Amino acid sequence: MTELGIKRFSSLVELEGMREKLLNSRSASAKSIHVCTGPGCVAKGSFKLYEIFCAAVEGAGSDVQVQAKCVGCHGFCERGPIVVIEPGGIFYQRVEEPDVAEIFRETVLGGRVVERLLYEDPNTGKKVEKANEIPFYKVQERIALSGNGLLDPTEISDYIAEGGYTALAKVLSPMTPEEVISEVELSGLRGRGGGGFPTGRKWRSCRQAEGSPKYVICNGDEGDPGAFMDRCIMEGNPHSVIEGMLIGAYAIGSEHGYIYVRNEYPLSVERLKNAVAQAKELGLVGETILGSSFSFDIRINRGGGAFVCGESTALMASLEGRPGEPRAKYVHTVESGFRGKPTNLNNVETWANIPHIINRGGKWFAGIGTEKSKGTKVFSLVGNVVNTGLVEVPMGITMRRIIDEIGGGIRDGKRFKAVQTGGPSGGCIPAEHLDARVDFEELTKLGSMMGSGGMIVMDEETCMVRVAKYFTDFLQKESCGKCTPCREGLAQMLYILDRITDGEGQVGDIERLEELGGLLEGTALCALGKTAANPVISTIRYFRDEYDAHILDGRCPAKECRGLFRYEIDPEACNGCGICLKNCPADAITGEKKVPHVINQEKCTLCGTCWEKCPFTAVLKV
Amino acid sequence: MPTVTIDGCEVKVKRDATILDAARKAGIWIPTLCYHPAVPSEATCRLCMVELDRGEWKQLVTACNYPVRRDIVVYVSSERAKKARRGVMELLLARAPESQELKALAERMGVKGTPYPNVTDSQRNCILCGLCVQVCEQIIGKAAISFAGRGAERTVAAPFRQPSEDCIGCGACAAICPVGTIKVRLHKEQQEVEISPFKSRVKLLVCQECGTPIVSSEVSEQVLRKSQIDWQEFRELLRLCPKCRRSQTSARLRAASVYK
Ligand SMILES: Cc1cc2nc3c(=O)[nH]c(=O)nc-3n(C[C@H](O)[C@H](O)[C@H](O)COP(=O)(O)O)c2cc1C
Ligand code: SF4
Repeated sequence: MTELGIKRFSSLVELEGMREKLLNSRSASAKSIHVCTGPGCVAKGSFKLYEIFCAAVEGAGSDVQVQAKCVGCHGFCERGPIVVIEPGGIFYQRVEEPDVAEIFRETVLGGRVVERLLYEDPNTGKKVEKANEIPFYKVQERIALSGNGLLDPTEISDYIAEGGYTALAKVLSPMTPEEVISEVELSGLRGRGGGGFPTGRKWRSCRQAEGSPKYVICNGDEGDPGAFMDRCIMEGNPHSVIEGMLIGAYAIGSEHGYIYVRNEYPLSVERLKNAVAQAKELGLVGETILGSSFSFDIRINRGGGAFVCGESTALMASLEGRPGEPRAKYVHTVESGFRGKPTNLNNVETWANIPHIINRGGKWFAGIGTEKSKGTKVFSLVGNVVNTGLVEVPMGITMRRIIDEIGGGIRDGKRFKAVQTGGPSGGCIPAEHLDARVDFEELTKLGSMMGSGGMIVMDEETCMVRVAKYFTDFLQKESCGKCTPCREGLAQMLYILDRITDGEGQVGDIERLEELGGLLEGTALCALGKTAANPVISTIRYFRDEYDAHILDGRCPAKECRGLFRYEIDPEACNGCGICLKNCPADAITGEKKVPHVINQEKCTLCGTCWEKCPFTAVLKV
Repeated sequence: MPTVTIDGCEVKVKRDATILDAARKAGIWIPTLCYHPAVPSEATCRLCMVELDRGEWKQLVTACNYPVRRDIVVYVSSERAKKARRGVMELLLARAPESQELKALAERMGVKGTPYPNVTDSQRNCILCGLCVQVCEQIIGKAAISFAGRGAERTVAAPFRQPSEDCIGCGACAAICPVGTIKVRLHKEQQEVEISPFKSRVKLLVCQECGTPIVSSEVSEQVLRKSQIDWQEFRELLRLCPKCRRSQTSARLRAASVYK
C-alpha cells in the first residue's frame, strides 16, 4: 500500500511503527465529518450527503484541515441520516441535502453548532449536542459496535490507527494457542448466532479434533427478517471480523477461512473483500503473517439465499456447492464439518468480540453481564417503539430498560403488549415479564430465546394469533422440507392458525397446536424445526385468552382479524361529512348531510374503507 | 466394543454402528421408512425416534443414524418414544393417505388412522423420504431425479419437472420406494417402460423371436458397458427373452447331436 508508505509488515514492530506514524499525522485541530452509511441512513440518501460533503471539502481549499468519511451504522436509524462532526462529537440527525452547506459553514469552518439539527430529548425538551448524552445511547455499552460510527470501513489505516490488529499482534508475540483459548474461555463469551454455545469450548474441541486441514468459518448469513446486526458489523467494521477470525484460526490451528455472507448483502461482500485485500497487502492475512510462522487465508462466499442456509450444517453443505440443507449433528462439525474436516463456525458478532477480549482480557469481558451470559449483545430493535435501530447492551439489562429508555417507549402513546425476541422462531414475552433480565437462560425460561438478536416490540393493537401465524408462515416457507415433522407439522399448524384467524377455529385447536409443537421440538432434524413452534407455544402460554376469544366467541380482541370485529360510527364524533358514504363500495352506509351516519351491518363487507377514509376518526372497530 | 442397552436388553456393537444396528442385533423392532442399507442414512422421515438416556436428561434421537461411540442406554418403548413415532406416523398418514404400505406399517405400530387432514400434496402419496433420489444417484449413478422446491412445496422430480433424459428405466427407485408410490409401467404397444410419477419413458428391448419385452434397452446397454463384456455371442443372447433363449440353446444342442 503506497498510500501508507509501506508494502508489507514483516514484524510486529513495523505494525506498531505504522500506528504511531498514523496517529502523529493527525493534527489535533483537523476536522472530520462522519457520514453514516449504515443501511438505514443509506436508504434515506446518506451516500449523496457524503458526496456533497466531499465536494465541500474540496472546495474549501488546502489550508482547511478537514476530511469527510463514510462510517458504519450508528444505530439510531430512526433519526437518520446521521452526521457527526469530530472533534467534539457533534451529533446531527435527520440531515438532508440542503443542510450540508450550513453544517459545513457553521460547524466545520465556524465551530458553531446548528441547533435545529440536534436531537431533542423528548423528556426534557432540551437539545442534545453529543451522542452519549442522548437517552438512546446512554444505556448502551458498545463493544462489538465500538468501531461503528468511528471508522471508515474501507480504510485499513483507520482501523490500525484506532488500535486495530493489536490483538493479533499480542496473540502472535507471546501467546500460545492454548493461552488464547483459555483467555476466550475465561471471558465466558457465548455464540451470538443463536445457540449460545461457549466459544472457547468450541475452539478447544476443534483444536483437539483429529484431521487436517481445519477450517474456520464466519456465519454472515443473517436470515432473520428485520435483523441487521451482523450486516452493520460487516459493513461498518469488517476488519474486526477478520482480526477475530485470524485469532481464532491461530488458536485452533487452521489456515483456511471462509466468510459466508447473505446473498442480499452485496455491500457487505464488497466491504469484506476490500478489507481482506487490504489486510493481505499489508501481510496481515496470507502467508507468514507479521513475519511469524502463522498463515491464514480468507475467502468470501455468497449465501444460498435461504434462511435455513444459516444453520451450521446447511451452511457447510452450501459452501461445498451442495443444496443448503441441514444434516444430523450427532457427529459435531468441530469434528467433521466442511468437507468432512474439523470446522469451527462462529457468528459475525462473536468474531467481532474476540479482538476486544484479547486486548482487554477475558476477565474484563466476564465482568460485564450475568453469571452465565457475559459481555454485551447487539439487538435490532424494531416494531412499535419510538426509537428503532441497532442497540448494544450489557447482558442482564431488563427488557423494560431497552424498550423504555433506549426505545423511548411505545409509539403514538399506545400501550405495550409483547416483545418478540430471537428471530422468527423466538417467542413473545408479555408485559408481566418486562423486568426479566435479558440473557440466554432467562429468555429460554420465558419460552423465547436470545437467537441472533431480533427484538420486535408490539403494541396493544397487535393480534397475537396473527403474530404466531405470521412467523409460522415464514418458517413453513423457509423450512427446507427435508424432514417430516417440520414440513408436515408446520403446514398443519398453519392450517389450524388460518382457521382460527378466519373465525373458524374449533374447540381442541389449541391442544392440537400444543401437541404439534411438542412433536416438532422433539423430532425435527435441525434447530429450525425444533424451535419453529415457539411463536405459537409462547403466545398460547401468555395470550391464551386471545385464542379463546377467536375460537369460542368469534371475536378478535385486537381487532385485526377481518370478520372478527365490526365497524360502527360513533355518533358523537361523526360530523356527517359523507366521505365514508361516498367511498363505501358496498353501499352499506346511510345518513343525511351533517347528521351522524350509520353502517348497515347486514350489507357491510368489513373492507375497512370507511375506517381509513373518515377524517374525524369517527369509525370505530368494535 | 461399546454396549447398547435397549429397553434393558444389552448388545455389543462395533464403534460407529447405529442404534438401529444394535436393535436389529438384539431382535428389537424399530419402524423405519427412509432407512435402507444400500445408501447412507439421511434420517428424513423421523419415524425411528428412540429415547437416549443422557444421565441428567433424555433426548429423542433417530436410531438409523445415531452412531454408538460409548456405552449407551436407549429406550424404544418408552412412552415418549412411542408418542414421538406415533406423531410422525400420523403426519405421514395425512400426507400419503392412499399408501397401503404406509397403512400396514401404521397398523403394525398400533397407530389407528390420523387426526390430521391432508394439507400437503406437492406429490401425491409421496412421503419425500428421498430413497429414490439417493439410489438413482449413488447406486445407479444417474441422478435422473432430485428434490425440487422447499418446505411444503418440496417434490421429487426430474429437472424442470419434465420427463428425464437421464432415466434409464431401471426401476431401482420403484423397488426402493417404501410406500409403493413409484411404479414401473409397461406400455406394450409403444414398447416402452414408464417410471411413474416421473413420466420418464425408455424403449424396451423386445425379444427378437417372440416380441416379449425383456428389459429397458438403456439398462442392457449400461450392463454391457459396466461389465465390459463385448462378446458377440453374449450380445446375441441378450436379444432373446429367457424362454426363447432356452429353446434356442436346446435346439442348438440338439443340432450338435449331443443326445443322439
Ligand atoms: C434455521 C437457522 C438459521 C440460522 N441462521 C444463522 C445466521 O443467519 N447467522 C448465524 O450466525 N447463525 C445462524 N444460525 C446458528 C448457526 O447454526 C450456528 O449455531 C452459529 O452460526 C454458530 O456460531 P456462534 O456459536 O458464534 O453463535 C442459524 C441456525 C438455524 C437453525
Ligand atoms: S427441521 Fe425443517 S429445516 Fe430443518 S431439516 Fe427438517 S425440514 Fe429442513
